[in-house]
Amino acid sequence: MDSPVITTPPSAYAPPGGRYDEMLDAATRAPREHWGDLADAFEGLGTDELLRRRDEAARLLDQDGVVYNAYGAPSHSWSLDPLPTVIASREWQAIESAVIERAELLNLILDDLYGERDLLRRGLIPPEIVFGHAGFLRACDGVRTGGPDTQQLFSYAADLGRDADGGWCVLADRTQAPSGFGYALENRTVTSRVLPSLYRGANVHRLAPFFRALRAGLQAAAPPGVEDPRIVVLTPGPWNETAFEHAVLSSTLGYPLVEGSDLVVRPDGVFMGSLGALEPVHVILRRVDGWYCDPLELKPDSQLGVAGLVEATRRGAVSVVNPLGSSVLENPALLSFLPRLGEHLLGRTPRMASVPTWWCGEDQARAEVLHRLDELVLRPVSRGAGPASVLGWELSAAERDELRAKITRHPAMWVGQEPLALATTPTLGTHGLEARRSVLRTYAVARRDSYTVMSGGLTRVAPPGDDGRGRISNQAGAISKDTWVLTSEPERQTGFWLETGPAVEGLDPMASLPARAAENLWWLGRYAERAESTVRLLRTVHDRRNEFQGGDPASEAALRVLLGALTDVTATTPGFSDPARLADPGPELHALLVDEHRPGTVAHAVRALLQCAYAVRDQLSGDTWLVVGALDRQILELRRRTGAGAPETQATLQRLMQGLLALGGLGEESMVRDLGWRFLDAGRRLERAIQLLALLRATITTTRDVAADSLVLESTLTAAESIITYRRRYRSRAQLETALELLLLDEHNPRSLAYQLGRLMEDLAALPPTAGQRLRADQRLVLETSTALALTDPATMVGDSEGAASRPALDALLGDLHAQLLAAADELDREHFTRRLPQHTLGWTGTDGEA
Amino acid sequence: MGATYRITHRTEYRYSARVAPSYSLLHLLPRDAPGQRCLEAAITVDPAPEDQGEHRDFFGNRVAYVAVTAPHRALTVTATSVVEVDGGRGPASLSLFGQQTWEEARDHRDVEAVHYALDSPRVEADAAFADYAAPSFTPGRQLVEAVTDLSSRIHADFTFAPGETKVDTPLTEVLETRQGVCQDFAHLGIACLRSLGLPARYVSGYLETDPPPGRPKLTGADVSHAWFSVLFPGAGWLDLDPTNDQVVGDRHIVTAYGRDYSDVAPLSGVMYTRGRTTRLKVEVDVVALTPA
Repeated sequence: MDSPVITTPPSAYAPPGGRYDEMLDAATRAPREHWGDLADAFEGLGTDELLRRRDEAARLLDQDGVVYNAYGAPSHSWSLDPLPTVIASREWQAIESAVIERAELLNLILDDLYGERDLLRRGLIPPEIVFGHAGFLRACDGVRTGGPDTQQLFSYAADLGRDADGGWCVLADRTQAPSGFGYALENRTVTSRVLPSLYRGANVHRLAPFFRALRAGLQAAAPPGVEDPRIVVLTPGPWNETAFEHAVLSSTLGYPLVEGSDLVVRPDGVFMGSLGALEPVHVILRRVDGWYCDPLELKPDSQLGVAGLVEATRRGAVSVVNPLGSSVLENPALLSFLPRLGEHLLGRTPRMASVPTWWCGEDQARAEVLHRLDELVLRPVSRGAGPASVLGWELSAAERDELRAKITRHPAMWVGQEPLALATTPTLGTHGLEARRSVLRTYAVARRDSYTVMSGGLTRVAPPGDDGRGRISNQAGAISKDTWVLTSEPERQTGFWLETGPAVEGLDPMASLPARAAENLWWLGRYAERAESTVRLLRTVHDRRNEFQGGDPASEAALRVLLGALTDVTATTPGFSDPARLADPGPELHALLVDEHRPGTVAHAVRALLQCAYAVRDQLSGDTWLVVGALDRQILELRRRTGAGAPETQATLQRLMQGLLALGGLGEESMVRDLGWRFLDAGRRLERAIQLLALLRATITTTRDVAADSLVLESTLTAAESIITYRRRYRSRAQLETALELLLLDEHNPRSLAYQLGRLMEDLAALPPTAGQRLRADQRLVLETSTALALTDPATMVGDSEGAASRPALDALLGDLHAQLLAAADELDREHFTRRLPQHTLGWTGTDGEA
Repeated sequence: MGATYRITHRTEYRYSARVAPSYSLLHLLPRDAPGQRCLEAAITVDPAPEDQGEHRDFFGNRVAYVAVTAPHRALTVTATSVVEVDGGRGPASLSLFGQQTWEEARDHRDVEAVHYALDSPRVEADAAFADYAAPSFTPGRQLVEAVTDLSSRIHADFTFAPGETKVDTPLTEVLETRQGVCQDFAHLGIACLRSLGLPARYVSGYLETDPPPGRPKLTGADVSHAWFSVLFPGAGWLDLDPTNDQVVGDRHIVTAYGRDYSDVAPLSGVMYTRGRTTRLKVEVDVVALTPA
């Protein structure tokens, strides 16, 4: 990092021969016409500036919390090369019509495979590649989505590549739940922000019309007769590799993000378990693999599905898009039959060819493949647990023999494909522009009689150090790019959610919050507050430690009380009740900050709040990710660090506090006061109240000499964020009565117990009522707590203990309040977060004397 | 000669805790099939289901969908049906399947044949099965002879041993230990045929077991039963019961066809509970209304 990197200017870009390059014409070595302005602009900016823009792009992506979770590895940030790849208007028209044609063809095939299967009978598709494909779901036979005119293949993506001659060809079809258009949108947003003038000057097709078409398509896919369909996005959960995209789709389109456990099948359709009610669902935009979508009829042990979903689609009560079973089209063997299928179904050979593919079920093709095993890419027809492809030239002789045996045993289950000399596109490397191989994923979504193609797409380029022959995939570390499709004239700016026509009634805000989301928001509030109050207490202890070190007996005594309080409040016993730890508090204090596996620590609470936040990504404002991302990094940072230097700890605590405060501020300033916010706020208020009560019980219910007590009181007020107010109001001298007045009873102190209870009652009053009852159990308990508090006179409680070693009356009161609030939390949980019971497979009835 | 049977199949589950809801798929309503007609069939569920429907599956079987929403600690499913068997099946029908050799049958690959020659969830072809089948499938042998011989050899070589295998016992283990129940023998027959490239399917159903005077009591009394079936191109499916060394005849009643057990489990389902199943009781009665 210290030594300067030597860079070369963009004009030094020199792609290798033998391949097509997107930017440079091989013959003239000059930029192609549609790249001219961009090439000039790259040169004008210079490599160092472009590298700076790349850092800026990374920062923006980070702020938006864009991640891609590769299975089995920690999530990593989405990597974006700021240089777009550019496609000329006329060339795009050809691509667009080819993609539309292919989507139409695949749609007809899909319809046939789950209907008449005429294509099989006619011998146009070998039955093996359908019946032997894991994506062919027999349970979905005969199920049609939507009305008679509804396209069965709702959304489609094609992975395209250019060969050495510059001709485009289709590498693979994506029909299960095509992913990436959310990332494409994000790439556009970021690229246009880091290269603003370039973007404005370039007349680039907008992505908005595609998302408008997606919305319209989802509406149109509804079961016949449903006028104003309710649409949801079904996700496997926050830890899926493209979870970010699911949340983006949900929040961009404005549809609730649900998990399988949020939905239930009833006689009259599918419903979302929303607070207090079941809300009907008519269209499910599915991001869960088909096989996982129904434990009843598909995969019995799937926890991601909805029992009875297949039956609901069979009855036409709900439209699942893409339909269950659509992944049968993600079938490399199909590629070799598309030309004749095109002839049969469309009356012409598809205009864009697929990558040359040999299906080993045919003798001649198999012989060819086995003969050229070391030159080809081998792909199983049906992707099971194994890899999607094997690169023949990477295999050892023994591995090749093994593969040969596999193919010979099940020839119908394998294809061989020609590796393409993929085109390159200029990509920013460490030293300047590098030529990297690229593939383009394009997207199409069904409309009434055809398909709408996104004018753009997701370009992915090979990672650095590419040998020109490896894979290009997100799992393999590919880098993405924005794809600029040029227009001949500037387009009208239109927001994709702006619609003409009659105003749509706003949804009942209660209706669109899944119970699971409410639960996550409640815990988000609680963990955020828990983290904040623990940081405050740790900070106070650190301050006191620094001041008291080697101090007088009163200071020693006060520090012991505070350390004990830390253990009690965080419930991390034995903690400082262990004399050895008390004698050398450093390691335990450090652990209370960084040990994320130990409940009660700061790191644990922050990790838990992050999990809650990711689980309700669609409910939180965009700015939230600025803060959440920073907290996430700080936790990672904590994990890396092992030493426990005091100044460093203080700085860490400060940074964490900043993040937590910002999160609190967002909750106050950037969230609509809807049901979701009520749960978030209720969680925060309840947690603050119980943290305060625990702190007071651990500090001021016992007494020492006046000097020590006064230090303890001061620290308690500090930890409760009320010391400034207290000093200002009672400047003469500290008294327990007045401190309790401020911390417990003062309704104007946002840190007091009375204030928390007031807010909590407001929040709870806004939640759905229990039928037939004026107050729910959780409300009643908080009201009782509040009343008990209001009837309390702190003076009498403190006064009777003059000279005693403890204050039993005060301790009992605080203990009662604490217990009542915990009971209220349990009741709230029971009332509102009706969870699905654990899922089991029904016992089987055997044959032959099983009884 | 033909016969009419009344079949009652009652399944009772008990659970250690409240279940709500539960969803089940039932392959309990007999289908029509060559040689048999289902005259009436009904399913009753206790407690009363909130939702009950019926559809035909991929294989043309009748499937009932049942959803019980009310909290319950026991579930009873009773299927009652009346089936008429016309006497067209059995050893006498063997001549209808012609004289084609097993190789000819193997090489006839229409859509249905390909479908049933492929591996399925519980039956994967393996050289071990082909080896076992080889003595029956000598070159040029007629398929009728070869497959009845295979069925007889399974009957002779394997011990009927209830409780020794479970529904998920691997088929290779059945082949090694030489024991199992009717479901295992059916799967084994299918595995042998598919390993030779022949299309074969699984049949679930019932067997009438009241022994007529002078004839031995057949294994499989009053339980659901299973056997395998092999495709004769142009002639249809021939059903063989290796458990009883029989060509399936008019004392067998077909409920459903599939690639293997997993396609046609009599009851399968999903339930939501903190408890577990504490009791599972199955009672099957096959009563001849008119004598066979």
